Amino acid sequence: MPDEPDIPESPDTPPSPGGGDESRPAEPQPPRPRLTRSSTDSLIGGVAGGIGRHLNVDPLAIRITFVILSFAGGLGVLAYLACLVLLPSDDPDAEPLQWGLWRTLGAGLLAVAAIAILVPDWLWGPELGILLIAGVILYVLIRVVRDDGASHISGMAARIAIGIVLLAVSVGGFVAAAAGSALGGGIAVAGLVIACGVGLVGGAFRGGARWLIGPALLLSLPLAAVAATDLDLRGTWGDRTYTPTTVQELERGYDMGAGSMRVDLRDVDLPPGSTTLPLELGAGEIQVLVPPGVCVLTDARVRMGAVDDGRDEEGGVDLDITDPRVVAPGTRTVRLDVDLGLGAVRVGDRFRDSHGPGEWHLDDAGGPSPAAACAGTP
Amino acid sequence: MTARPGFDPASLVSGVIVIVLGLVLLLDQADVLDVRWDYMLPLLLAAAGGILLACGLTGPRRRG
Repeated sequence: MPDEPDIPESPDTPPSPGGGDESRPAEPQPPRPRLTRSSTDSLIGGVAGGIGRHLNVDPLAIRITFVILSFAGGLGVLAYLACLVLLPSDDPDAEPLQWGLWRTLGAGLLAVAAIAILVPDWLWGPELGILLIAGVILYVLIRVVRDDGASHISGMAARIAIGIVLLAVSVGGFVAAAAGSALGGGIAVAGLVIACGVGLVGGAFRGGARWLIGPALLLSLPLAAVAATDLDLRGTWGDRTYTPTTVQELERGYDMGAGSMRVDLRDVDLPPGSTTLPLELGAGEIQVLVPPGVCVLTDARVRMGAVDDGRDEEGGVDLDITDPRVVAPGTRTVRLDVDLGLGAVRVGDRFRDSHGPGEWHLDDAGGPSPAAACAGTP
Repeated sequence: MTARPGFDPASLVSGVIVIVLGLVLLLDQADVLDVRWDYMLPLLLAAAGGILLACGLTGPRRRG
């Protein structure tokens, strides 16, 4: 980290002796100011002012970005604090950036907090040791670079650190946009995309606003994925096993947001003829356990995933499966009406523990297929 | 090709592309359209390609 602030070069360069303006070649672009905290454009710590000056972007846009990201699990606050810790001030009278114990501890805690927000289940698992080791290695590397006194290398290390923070912010924004879209905020996210587009068009006449392309794509891509999969995560989350006992209960169906939905049909006294079971799941796995002697017909709409109806497996995107078989009158039949955004559907004589079509074959041995009960039908 | 000082054609083209993409997504979310992967993937690729092309053809940002 450089200790000395970088003062931009003065544009008032002396004219060349004997040379006129008309014969002078075009002046080169002034170097981009070093990334520092601004001591002149500062509301809190001069972070937004410094980043705006470095990127030649209105600091107000940077401040608004920090505020918006603060609603994404506090990422904006963490990113701001990280910049506050990592960036030196451009004030020549300011004390040089000294890491010391508390600043180092603060930066470490910020990094841990950022990871905790991004991957909450990961942090407290056995990988915590790996994280700590990686943190120590990173710290040692930065200290080595700093102690070498090579300003360009330390500057590069600062850029890498800022890059990591920006990457974390981007990933957080991506995840937040995807989650917001899947939880019913798709219209708001689409509105933000359009606002970015309007900002680009408006900025085109004021020198350009290409920096808005990044946020626009960051919002568009997860929303597009959610839209294409019709992912709707509203509703129950987790692992649920349903054991209906009446036909009425069965025909009401089940609806979950995300997780593992298991439906056990063994306790239902199914009448002769067809009974429809509607099942709706945003993302996850649906398993239907069918008792012997019951024919199962599967109609499924799966935006991305796989279906194993006991006869065939089919996978891909935009699956729209309709079971063409016609069952003899009087046959006890369950017609599954499945609407799944992302995941898998399995029908069988028992619940399976393997996840994903790649492992289904591991526990397929034994047991009659529910398709057998439909035997004799075309 | 000469451009007015302070005018960035790439931003204009990118903005129009982003607006169109946003409108399609908005209509999908409002259940007016039902855009599936078959159409969404080409749409995303076209949008990204158009933006890259616009930025590449117009070169670095001009300042007025």
